[in-house]
Amino acid sequence: MPVLTAAMVPLLVTKGRSARRDDAVPARFKPGDQIVAKVMSPLTHTRLPRYVRGRRGVIERDHGVFVFPDTNALFAGPHPQHVYNVRFSARELWGPEGAATDAIYIDLWDSYLDRA
Amino acid sequence: MNGIHDMGGMDGFGPIEREADEPVFHEPWEGRIFALNMAAGALGKWNLDRARYMREQSDPVEYLTLGYYEGWVLRLEAMGVEFGLFTREELERKRTALAAAEKS
Repeated sequence: MPVLTAAMVPLLVTKGRSARRDDAVPARFKPGDQIVAKVMSPLTHTRLPRYVRGRRGVIERDHGVFVFPDTNALFAGPHPQHVYNVRFSARELWGPEGAATDAIYIDLWDSYLDRA
Repeated sequence: MNGIHDMGGMDGFGPIEREADEPVFHEPWEGRIFALNMAAGALGKWNLDRARYMREQSDPVEYLTLGYYEGWVLRLEAMGVEFGLFTREELERKRTALAAAEKS
């Protein structure tokens, strides 16, 4: 079993352990693309918040390729894929109570998104 | 999972408290629990995503009422048992022994 040594600690605490991968995975979306977040309710881990499921957003930025938490949490493989920063308007998420000029930008994995 | 952790968009929790000169840890034991989690994670029995999944499976009442690092203690206990670092019986034996030592 690997053991954490004192020498490893500064790097671990300051940099963490990156989930970024250098796999050559094609990007399905590019900045400006309209998406809709999938509606799903897995009983297992996901990083797709309930409040964006089924909502329309716009790809703001492509962060590159990362480990997919949903499968990694189950030890079912890293399934490397693009993570995008996605813009959702407050009106789209909260209805008329959302401020017209507000938006939320959240990082979402490729598997969470469909083309709108 | 559609658990208590997924709180985005919920109302009624009051304002966010902003502490001036907020310390990294509010109590020394919190630092020890943070370190223990890092050291246990380095054993390679689980990964960060699994650890988050374990946190999501907390009892919802505990999730909302316990402090942040108190929740980490319960998660580490649950992971230690699930991944064979110790048994629930060993944990309880140690807890009993420590409580007895504290009293004497």
